[in-house]
Amino acid sequence: MLNQIPEGVVWAILFLPFGSFAVISLAALLGLTRTGSWEARFSGYLTMAAIAASFLLSLWALDSVLQEDGARIGYDAHEWVTVGSLRFDIGVTVDGLTAIMLIVVTSVSLLVQFYSQGYMRGDPGYNRYYAFMSLFTGSMLGLVLASNILQLFVFWELVGLCSYLLIGFWFYRDSARRAATKAFVVTRIGDLGFLSAILLIWTKTDQLDIGQIQHLAATGMIGSSVITWFALGLFAGAAGKSAQFPLHVWLPDAMEGPTPVSALIHAATMVVAGVYLVARFFPVFIVSEEAINAVVVVGAITAIMAASLAIVATDIKRVMAYSTISQLGYMMMALGVGAIGAAIFHLFTHAFFKALLFLGAGSVNHATGTFDMRKMGGLARFMPVTFLTTTVAGLALVGVFPLAGFWSKDEILIEAWAEKPLIFWTALAGVFLTAVYVGRMLFLTFGGEYKGGEASDHGAQANSRPAEPHESPWVMLLPLVVLATLATTVGFVNITGGMNDILEGWLPEETHELVAAGDFVLWISVVSVAVGLAGLGLAWAIYSRKAIRAEEVSAALEPVQVLLDRKYYLDDLYETVIVKGVIMRGAAAALHAWDRYVIDGVVNGLASLMRFSSEKYRLAQSGQAQLYGAAIFIGVIVIVASVLQDELLGIVGL
Amino acid sequence: MDSVNRFGPELILLAMAAVIILADIGWALAGTGAERMRRPALGALALTGTAASIIWSALLIAFDEQGEAFSGMIRVDDFALFFNFLFAGTAAIVILASIDFLRRNRFVAEYYALILASTAGMMLLASTIDLIAIFVALELTGISLYILVAFMKDGRSSEAGLKYLLLGAISSAVALYGMAYLFGITGSTSLDEIGLVVSEANGETRSALVLAMVFLIAGFGFKMAIVPFQMWVPDVYEGAPTPVTAFLSVGSKAAGFAVVMRIFLTALGDGSISSDWATVFAILAAISMSLGNITALVQGNIKRMLGYSSIAQAGTFLIGLAVVAAADPQLLLGTSAVLFFLGTYAFTNLGAFIAVIAISSKIGSDQIADYAGVAKRSPLLALGLTICLLSLTGIPPTAGFIAKVYVFNAAVQADLVWLAIVGVLNSVVAAYYYLRVVLNMYTAEPASEESIQPGYYLGLAMVVAVVGLLVIGIFPSPLLEASEAAARVFG
Amino acid sequence: MIPIENFLVLSSILFSIGIYGVLARRNAVLIIMSVELMLQAVSINFIAFAVYLYPEQFTGLIFAIFVITIAAAEVGLALGIILRIFRNKGTSNVDEVDMLKW
Repeated sequence: MLNQIPEGVVWAILFLPFGSFAVISLAALLGLTRTGSWEARFSGYLTMAAIAASFLLSLWALDSVLQEDGARIGYDAHEWVTVGSLRFDIGVTVDGLTAIMLIVVTSVSLLVQFYSQGYMRGDPGYNRYYAFMSLFTGSMLGLVLASNILQLFVFWELVGLCSYLLIGFWFYRDSARRAATKAFVVTRIGDLGFLSAILLIWTKTDQLDIGQIQHLAATGMIGSSVITWFALGLFAGAAGKSAQFPLHVWLPDAMEGPTPVSALIHAATMVVAGVYLVARFFPVFIVSEEAINAVVVVGAITAIMAASLAIVATDIKRVMAYSTISQLGYMMMALGVGAIGAAIFHLFTHAFFKALLFLGAGSVNHATGTFDMRKMGGLARFMPVTFLTTTVAGLALVGVFPLAGFWSKDEILIEAWAEKPLIFWTALAGVFLTAVYVGRMLFLTFGGEYKGGEASDHGAQANSRPAEPHESPWVMLLPLVVLATLATTVGFVNITGGMNDILEGWLPEETHELVAAGDFVLWISVVSVAVGLAGLGLAWAIYSRKAIRAEEVSAALEPVQVLLDRKYYLDDLYETVIVKGVIMRGAAAALHAWDRYVIDGVVNGLASLMRFSSEKYRLAQSGQAQLYGAAIFIGVIVIVASVLQDELLGIVGL
Repeated sequence: MDSVNRFGPELILLAMAAVIILADIGWALAGTGAERMRRPALGALALTGTAASIIWSALLIAFDEQGEAFSGMIRVDDFALFFNFLFAGTAAIVILASIDFLRRNRFVAEYYALILASTAGMMLLASTIDLIAIFVALELTGISLYILVAFMKDGRSSEAGLKYLLLGAISSAVALYGMAYLFGITGSTSLDEIGLVVSEANGETRSALVLAMVFLIAGFGFKMAIVPFQMWVPDVYEGAPTPVTAFLSVGSKAAGFAVVMRIFLTALGDGSISSDWATVFAILAAISMSLGNITALVQGNIKRMLGYSSIAQAGTFLIGLAVVAAADPQLLLGTSAVLFFLGTYAFTNLGAFIAVIAISSKIGSDQIADYAGVAKRSPLLALGLTICLLSLTGIPPTAGFIAKVYVFNAAVQADLVWLAIVGVLNSVVAAYYYLRVVLNMYTAEPASEESIQPGYYLGLAMVVAVVGLLVIGIFPSPLLEASEAAARVFG
Repeated sequence: MIPIENFLVLSSILFSIGIYGVLARRNAVLIIMSVELMLQAVSINFIAFAVYLYPEQFTGLIFAIFVITIAAAEVGLALGIILRIFRNKGTSNVDEVDMLKW
């Protein structure tokens, strides 16, 4: 048991990554990183050292919070700017929610940086990569630690900016550029909501301090319509960042960045910021029926829609992107039913197994040079470590006992059952779909025969087509193994509900009764695991069967009878499975089309409308000076007429 | 003596302009031997002039030498001093940025002299409180700038000069017509007295007053570059020498806002008329922002794009003016928002134009498409331009973010929520075209690998601008306090 | 005595003729002359106001003198720039000077 963490140390958590960003940028600008082998890799080491230190300090923060049972350790805010009556403060705050987020961000980030040493080796943008990664992690830490909402918004925008820079990292690809722009613009639409919410709460209550806003909301000091609009504005921002329907369109495209970036974006930084925001303002959401319902409905739609889309995607990273969207939908759903503990717990476990899945995909890509699952296959033999760890992650995602995902997903299901049964059934359907796409991904990638891969276009492997896939170097495998261990075990930390306590310990007194609480229900656990296994089984039947039959013929193993029998007895079932599969595919394809043509269409349509009017108006700028003069006089006449319209109408006698 | 003393910052600029011309004659007489030193020495003289002007203004504050001068023609108060610093600083940065640019031009001395003269005119615009002096200052600024725009004497520059001159002359005439009516209604050219008479006026003079008001808006709207008086902006910005474009976009625009604030807050500040002009400004603000941003979307020339963007920015400043006329406490908020925004905008836009000078002079093109891969050829310049564009977009931690928050907050406080919404929506559109430049610099393949090395003076100017906007973004207090103090003049 | 309204109407007519000339003439020199017309309309206004309404002070008259002086400077400069354009393009018609557009 350490002493309570002093404020300076909390600031250090934030400033270590920023410092490493500054040092790397400075060194790069001065041209120190170009020559020599040690200097060339110094930025990687520096970043890791900084984040490792942040991680250790975050543990201290967690320890302090545990002593307080998750209650807020408030530090005095510091005056930043005062203008007349306006005063802006900056400050940090640490409570249960913050501490958990700090651990997630720093630990996942650390592992990702470590892994990147292997993945990015030889890439010409190595220094830039680490500089951005430091900035990215630092901004996320700042977002989590912020004690007032304006400060939070500043870091929020920084996180968006960094993800823009990192998604567009391989800028020579046209698709990367477009994806980066799309991500930036779409999330900004959500940010508008966020900004309006800030302005609203500021004008209505004169408060920017998060604790104060929560307190005012919980004690009913703010009018209910203000609360609702404020919460909806926040949720718009959260939906943009966390890729919730209908602002989810940017995330699948955001796969254009380097894979470790995707891992970081999906697991610990960018996208969970939205969930964090809703959780941070949970006391506000919970007192507004409309807002909380919006969260739950949007979450549910997102969870189901994204999961079904994941079933038809062929790019392994796209599958995972949809999976992330779907899981974020789960977290939102959980928040919507009032289960803040379960939501953040799921965020916590999800961070580890989703990072693992992405790093596994990166490892696969490293070996085969492609992300297209149709060009993979049979990798289990060539890359056993990757195969095993990815499988662990996949099973955790499905929620198989006793992996991490089981515990958190189970908790969401239980609390949903207790609060809103309809949501429970939706969530259960989601579990099934999740299992199907996870199974499909695993079977297509690691099962069957190797289908040749593709020439890689990044890093040192550029343009060299691997003759045979090979296992990745140890720097990449070590994080996989560590994450796999975590994905197996972190679920147990909450077995006594201790995590829920610290996650809910900071909530204002008045809102405690509104927080969902469900007791362990055995049948729900059993059913959810069974549904998950059923989904995996279905995936096996559809995507792996062919391979099994081929092996069965060549090996002509002993229980031919059994297999024959099985084939026989599967026939009818199989028919229906195929039919169902086709129907499901159809539905998913329809959703995909909706996604592509309607939602994208609206976004693109607005953009082309702007472009069109732009093209039209510029023609008015004809270069004719006299036309410009005419504009002045016409302007004068119109303005005079509109200001004096009453008088003029009087003259004409109207 | 007090009068001369208070007029010092302007006077020293004009004196230095004369010294530069005389020194140039001296060089011509001295023959070719001293020719090598001519350009740097003239640049140094011009910089000395701006520095002296800044120091003089600082001394006026230090010795508390504020007040009226020349029997009520000029009032040196916090507002005037704020703009003294702004204009002298802008001129200094522009001069720094011009030294390399003028390497092959024969008329260096005239160029610096004209910059200094127009700077003096701008300062005068911010400090005069009499219509006659306002007109003289307006023309001093304008005529110097007409010459500067046409300075390169090639087809484009001359064309820009002609357009600027024609439309400038028309606008002056229109503004003058408004002033004549104001004089006819009130019998005075002093802003204070006009304000007094206007506040006591009965309904009879309303039509004439509105007419005068609209003529003044049109005349000064030309300088501020707001719709529909903005049509000259893209053409002139594109054709003028780039340092002059930078000067136009910052100095001339700020001068327009300064004089509009003086006239409208002092002479036309009475409630009966101020609600009219506030509404006009609110609507013009919305139109300027939207039209400027939308048209900027498809521009291929970066100077032209920055021209359209400056129209949109002017629209954003106008929000502050629209806010002013609301209830009393807002007076301070709106005015100081405009002042603060002008301060941040000076750094931001100067930085952007300096980067354009450096990059374009090397690649020989102003086309955004030719900025491909600049990040590889000059990481520092690309970074600098990126920061400036981020600030124009309004992304933290740059100064532009604080300024936008400040202005939008002012609008919301004054119950102009719709205007704030239009503004925020516009900043999304703006993000698109600013980032297009950034993307192009960072993500496209460069046409050549040759690195771009800006000269020392240009580099220094760039550093000043970028560091300035970052410092304001992180520690906005000093500038905020200064703009508040300046705004309090009208309180 | 001629009523002041007559002067004001004269001034407005002059101003309007000036506007017409500015918008309708193609030759830059004629446009500048039209601008002059607008400025002189303003001068007439100032003088009329000064003489009829405020005979005890000189500000209006002084303003008119300033207008005339500065207008002269403006015309001088304008002719210089028009000359420049004529050398560059061989024309002084403003509608043919439209290289910068869109």
